[in-house]
Parts: sequence; structure tokens; C-alpha cells
Amino acid sequence: MRRSKQRSRFLALCVAPASILFFIFMILPTLNVFRMSLFERGAYSPTETFVGTANFKALFNDAKFITSMQNTILLIVTVTIITFFFAIVFAAILTREKIKGQNFFRIVFYIPNILSVVVIAGIFSAIYKPENGMLNSILSAVSGETVMVLWKDQPMVIISVIIAMVWQAIGYYMVMYMASMSAVPESLYESAGLDGAGRLTQFFQLTLPLIWTNIRTTLTFFIISTINMAFLFVKAMVAKGMADVGLSFMYAQKDAGLYGYSMAAGVVIFLFSFLLSALVNRVTAREVLEM
Amino acid sequence: MKKFFSLLLTLALVLSLAACGGGGGSTPPAADNNTTPPADNNEPAPADVTITVAALASGYEEAYPGMWQEVCDAFTAETSVKVNLICDKNLEDVIGPSMQGGDFPDVIHLATGREKGLTEQFIKDRNIADITDVLSMTVPGESVKVSDKIVGGFTDTSVTNPYGDGKTYLAPMFYSPCGLFYNAGLFEEKGWTVPATWDEMWELAEKAQAEGCYLFTYPTTGYFDAFLYALMYSVGGADFFNKATTYAEGIWDTPEARQCFDIIAKLASYTNPVTPAQANDQDFTQNQQLVLDNKALFMPNGTWIVGEMAEAPRAEGFKWGMTALPAAKAGGAGASYCWLEQAWIPAAAPNLDAAKQFVAFLYSDAACAIFAKGNAVQPVPGLTDNLEGDNKMFYAIYDNGADAAMGNFAAYEAVAGLGTVREVFLDPVNGLVNGSVTEEQWISDVKAASDQMRANLMG
Repeated sequence: MRRSKQRSRFLALCVAPASILFFIFMILPTLNVFRMSLFERGAYSPTETFVGTANFKALFNDAKFITSMQNTILLIVTVTIITFFFAIVFAAILTREKIKGQNFFRIVFYIPNILSVVVIAGIFSAIYKPENGMLNSILSAVSGETVMVLWKDQPMVIISVIIAMVWQAIGYYMVMYMASMSAVPESLYESAGLDGAGRLTQFFQLTLPLIWTNIRTTLTFFIISTINMAFLFVKAMVAKGMADVGLSFMYAQKDAGLYGYSMAAGVVIFLFSFLLSALVNRVTAREVLEM
Repeated sequence: MKKFFSLLLTLALVLSLAACGGGGGSTPPAADNNTTPPADNNEPAPADVTITVAALASGYEEAYPGMWQEVCDAFTAETSVKVNLICDKNLEDVIGPSMQGGDFPDVIHLATGREKGLTEQFIKDRNIADITDVLSMTVPGESVKVSDKIVGGFTDTSVTNPYGDGKTYLAPMFYSPCGLFYNAGLFEEKGWTVPATWDEMWELAEKAQAEGCYLFTYPTTGYFDAFLYALMYSVGGADFFNKATTYAEGIWDTPEARQCFDIIAKLASYTNPVTPAQANDQDFTQNQQLVLDNKALFMPNGTWIVGEMAEAPRAEGFKWGMTALPAAKAGGAGASYCWLEQAWIPAAAPNLDAAKQFVAFLYSDAACAIFAKGNAVQPVPGLTDNLEGDNKMFYAIYDNGADAAMGNFAAYEAVAGLGTVREVFLDPVNGLVNGSVTEEQWISDVKAASDQMRANLMG
């Protein structure tokens, strides 16, 4: 009896620092965002007025907000699909196939992830440069005539952002899948091979189901981080108003002196990402397979 | 024993985390004096007062590093009020968070028209101290009144008196003429003359096009603010300018407004098509490079461009030239917008009196001389006489017959969904160039927003 009491006291002490910090720096500010979305004030004004749900009503009638949320959704869907496809395929190739310089590729793919967004924006600024840019020069060399695609202008701008985001994200997720793929015992593949399963069948029947839990978790991570990354990329790479996403809308409203309104946008984006993650979690639920 | 150790370990963990939390939680104090409660305002005790000055480190500070510190030191030497200087390129990010927490600097040198719009937010919140009385104060260390050291007209516009009530809230600091910058060397070589009217401009466009050079480019749409002001002034004169900048009813239906819209739309069709793709904070220097490379003739810009592109490669025989906007009709005068930076005192500044003294000191001969070392020119009589080189030519633009346009779009209460002046008036220019926005669409958006802005005018 005495033991268990001591034990729970010990556990409480262990958990206390993290939960106190989490409460002060995560829960309280989040609650404050919800509260402030019901008020109107400038970021630096001493006074605030209660406006109820007026901010939310205005938000759903704001064409700019609708467009930026559409852009956000477009980025989440396309970037997620493309990144996951390539990350899984590359991971499978690098773990299952015997390729020279595996480690080299692993590092090369991973490098973009450790670069800051500003550096990536600089790199892609050189790639997307209309005149003598890398991409346009390559396209010109291949096609034999001068190609002049304006990558950072309408209508290509959103595609350019997608390419940069995929390039940045692939490596990290690839390494994650490589880790879980190499945990799949070799004997399973051997016996599958004896049963006449080809490479593709092995991939779909063995690898994919066995790393499914990993894919599910990373998917949720990825969706939440894409909302944030999309903002960073758009902010660093393209002109304001070209491909605004939800969070850039939020920041612009704050700069326009509408702090409460921007908090309302923050609340909507928060709920949106929460619901989306829950939805993805539900849809991808499968029976967990044991190796 | 084991239990004791684990308990000790946890305790250590708790303590160290708490220490970390404490350290991370308290942002480095902008200034220790900021904790002085505002109640002490009216007790002038210069000897132990320390004021906090936050100044934007712009191109001038880059040209002469330590410029602001030197001014602050001179102020301390003169008045024995100590100064704690915050000088940063991203000033908004440095002072913003602590201001949200209620810690305000005493004097802020930060102009309107920046992307983060911090000064505009203070204007909209009526959160700036009235400094009309500073104008009648004596400049510290001199026997002249502040108002005598400011060129007439500089304290009469909406740039310094945002509410139009005759009271001055923002002190006029550095000004620079804005205009169209071009390669004067290329004009000499080709024998072209700088157009005096827009009709001549379009003729030149055809000539340049034949040589494979576009007429126009712009760094980002933000540079159109000075352009639009000057254009409105040259097309419609002071009366139209004042009506337009206060969103007068029906103003955008007048022939003058139509002419402004048409000129910008036509200019968009002569703009180097790569411009919008590079009109972002990352690549805008590439657009400026177009002028250096003779791929575009003109761009709207300010006098800082010379320093900004000093290291950039350029076409042979390149020479900076600057012209006012062409006249709207033959025989008319061109116009150049006078871009003015402001210094101001937040209403919640802890040391209001010392702050006002500091603002007054900014117009002293000593301060002007230090600012001049960084090529920063204040609207103080006689300062432009000492300019040299390119700057002499730039500041002579008004002597050469161009009208000076001064003032800006009037402040209006922020309304959800309305957008800023830049978003409504200027950003669509990208769309005009790439074809995603038509001129009519742009005009109707401007009209709709302008009606709302008028309804929410301040003052």
C-alpha cells in the first residue's frame, strides 16, 4: 500500500514538469486564441471590443479566405500523395534492392530536410529563374528551343510550390520507412519467394501491410506539418497574393490591424487540421499485423 | 537508497526544466527601464531617465553603420538622458512581441508603407502620442524652435497628421524623391530623350521594343504606392490627389481616375513579362537587375537603389538616371512622390517628456550632420546643398520642374474582409501584367473597397 502511494507520487513528480510546461505554453495560449477570436482589436491596442461571432461570419464571406483555404487543401492533398508515393517507392528500392551507393542516396535524399526554408527558397529561386534559370535551361536544351516558363507566376506558381515542398519532405519520410522496412524479417520474403510471389506482390502483400502503422502515424504528422510548411514556403518563395494559404491569410490580417479576425482564421485552421487528422486516422484504420 | 536516488533525479529534472522554462518564458527584456510605470511620466528627472529608442536599420544605417548610436550618444551628451537603442533591419519582429506584452519603446523610427504595417496599426488604434507641442519646443543645445528647422509643408500632410485635425502625430524624418530610374548611359548611346509626356513614353516603348528591350519593370507591387501617388498628382493635381486619397465619393469614375487606371494598364502591357514571377521578396533584385542589363528601360524606385545594387553586374556604360513621372498632357508638369519616413512616440511610452526632447533633438545640427553621413536627408533647410554625386541629381528633381506629391491614403478603421490599400490598389498590378486580372475588374474592386474605406475613415 505504502509502496504504491510512493510510486504514484513518484510518477506524478515525473509527469509534472512536462504537463505544467505543456499547460502554460500550449493549452493556455490555444485557449487564448479561441477567446481572442471573439474580440476585435489591433495587435498592439490597449482596448478590445467583444464582437461575438462576427469575425467568423465575416471570415466565411471573405473570398480571400476561401481562396487561401482552397490553396491549403490543394497543397495538402497533392503534396501528401506525391511525397508518400515517392518516399515509399524510394524506401522500398533502397532497402529491398541491391544498389550501389545506397548510403549515398540516403544522405542525398535526406539533405533537403535539414536545410532551412530560406535556403530552400534561395535554391529554388535559382532553379525557377525565368532567364537562365536551371529548369528553363534544361527544358530549352531538351526541346531545342527557348523555353520561358514563368514558374513563380500564375498559373504555374502553385505547381512550383508543390515541387519545392515535395523535394523538401521526401527524404525524411523515406528514412522513416526505410527503418520500418528493414525491420521486416528477411525470412518472410524468402518464403514468399518460394511461394512464387514476385517483387511487386511482395511489396503489396508483405511490405506495405507490415509498415502500415508507420504510414498511418506519419500521415497524420505530415498533414499537420504541411499546413505550416505551406505557409513558410509560400511566404519565402512567391509574391503576396499569388498563392496565399490559410496561415498567410492569418498573418496578413494581423498586419492589417485585425488581430481578432486573424485569430478567428487561426481557430478555423486549428479545427480544420484537427478534424482532418481525425478523419485520416479513421479512414486509414486497419487490423494491425504482427510480424 | 535506490528510491532516494530516483527521487533526487526527478527533483533535479523538475528543477532544471523549471529553470529552462523560466529562461525561455521571459523574453530578453527590451530595456530594463520599461518597467517604470507610466505614472512617472510627469516627473522630469533627466539625470537618471533612460529612454528606449527603436529605429529601423535601413539602407542609411548600412551606408554608415552606427549612425543611430552616434545620434543617441550626442543626445545623451547634450541632455544627460541616457538612451537604450534598438536598431534592427526587422524592427517589427524585435519590438513587436514585447509591445504586445505592454512594453513600449519611447521613440520609434519606422515609416508607414512597410509590409508589416506596424505604424499603420498604431495610427488605426489612435495609439500614438500627439507631438504638436514638440514643434514649438526649442531644439536641445540650440536656441531655435523645432518648427523653424522643418521645411514648410512637411508637417501639413496626412503622412504626419493622419487624422486631418491639424495635430501632428508623426515627426517627418528622412525624405527621398521617388521616380522612374533608368540607364542614362543607354539613352545617350541610342540618342533617346527621356519622355516628358506619357504619349512620348508609349512612342519610346515601340522604339525600345524594336531593340529587344521592354519599357517597364517594377521590383514588387509595393513600389507602386509612390508611383500611384505621383501619377494621381500629375494627372489631376493637388485637388484630385486629396480627393482620391480620402476616397471621395465617385472619384474613381472621373476622367482623371480613368486616365490613371489606363496608364497603369497600358504600362502593364509594356512590362517585361518576367516581372511578376520575380516580384517577391526573394527575387525582386532580379527585376531591378533587368534595368541594369538593359532588359527594361524604367522602374519605379527610390534613391536607395544606387546603394542596394552597388555590387550588381551591369551593362557597359551604365549610368543611373532618375526622372519624375511624365506629365499627363503636353506642357504639363511631371510629378515625383516625396517618400517620407516618420519617427513617433507610442501613446503608452513610459518617458513621454524625455521622448519629446529626443524627437526635438533629431532636428539639431549635430543630429542632421550625423544622419547626412549615411546619406539620410531630413526636411531641414539647407541640407540638400551638401549632397554629392548621384544623390545631388536625385534631390534636384523638384528644382527641375517636377511637382512634389506628398501625403498618403487616409487611415481608415480596420474592417474584416476589406483588405489593405496595397492589397486593393497595388497587388492586382501583377495580375494586369500576367493577364489574370482585367483592368475593369481591378477598377470595380478598387471602387467597392474605396466605398468601404470612406465609410470607415478616421478623424
